[in-house]
Amino acid sequence: MKEQPVADTLQLSEADKEDQYVHQVYDEIATHFSDTRFKAWPVIERYLLGLPVGSIGADIGCGNGKYLGVRGSGDIFMVGTDRSKALVGICAQRGFECQVSDGLDLPYRDGAFDFAISIAVIHHFASPERRARAVAEVLRVVRPGGSVLVFAWALEQNGRRKFDPNTQDVLVPWVLPASKAQCSAGRDELAGEGESAQSKVFHRYYHLFRKGELQELFEQVGGCTVIENGYDRDNWYIIAQKI
Amino acid sequence: MRLITHNMLKCHVKNCTDPDKQFPLRFKDVQLEQIDAERNNEFLVRMLPRIDWPALSKTTKELDITLPETVPGNPEDDEEFLQALHTAILETHIKQGSMLCDGCGHEYKITNGIPNMLLAEHEI
Repeated sequence: MKEQPVADTLQLSEADKEDQYVHQVYDEIATHFSDTRFKAWPVIERYLLGLPVGSIGADIGCGNGKYLGVRGSGDIFMVGTDRSKALVGICAQRGFECQVSDGLDLPYRDGAFDFAISIAVIHHFASPERRARAVAEVLRVVRPGGSVLVFAWALEQNGRRKFDPNTQDVLVPWVLPASKAQCSAGRDELAGEGESAQSKVFHRYYHLFRKGELQELFEQVGGCTVIENGYDRDNWYIIAQKI
Repeated sequence: MRLITHNMLKCHVKNCTDPDKQFPLRFKDVQLEQIDAERNNEFLVRMLPRIDWPALSKTTKELDITLPETVPGNPEDDEEFLQALHTAILETHIKQGSMLCDGCGHEYKITNGIPNMLLAEHEI
């Protein structure tokens, strides 16, 4: 039976929820997750390819570095940060510039960058205040006149996943096949010598954005002008310019 | 971590807000590695405004890397300057060591070229 998303009824603090249902999960599934993240999405590719030569940008929540190498030939420079040490390790192996950092507290000086992207990240923050803080951080590190691109999972999806329209806070399953398990402790528990191990299911916390919510979030944070908003591949997205 | 990235970093510990102290972070016990990269002059000239030159100058001095005190008037015509800049910011990698904040003393560790910029709970 296919694992389905379930409503989030966890009685945890926001930080603990993110720790157990985001950070720890990504560290466990990193390699398998990275294998499934390879095709650059057109809207993001278009944004990156349209940047002027000499642009320096931040990829906040860079994951396996999928977008860090889109613009080759050294005419822009990107730095990725991710909360997952395992994913940052994968980035580094690919030769990209990357650091371990939390999106709520970026290690950059104000206005350091020409642009910033944050792709399918802010939906992992477990309260409206934390999501606002994440957007504020994305904007803070960009210079006045610079731009940001943010993608977040939509409540209204057309793909395989079907979400209850009344439930925005959910736990979404990730099935880690036995062959991909990287947590050796987990494997030892599941598999003896000569026995076949079982796959393991992890749940990730998501706040799914309803139509209009991402734009409202940017307007609430302020200090920016929304240039473009849209829907692509089950995500709402915003391109905004820092004032 | 390349030096260009270091130029973008500041200490973000709670209440560590003195701009003269929290940036640039001071290197400690570092192992450097030089890795060749193709030079793109247009990139170098156009991204210059993003570089905090006094900070870069201070940091390169600490690492015994030669770079002019100030940016020349016409950098686009100065091959020597562009090569020195390219080598300093894009070809110089910090593989191991730490970055210290002169303001609050926090130490950010760099392992296998990856800085860990996470803070403890009381520092946020």
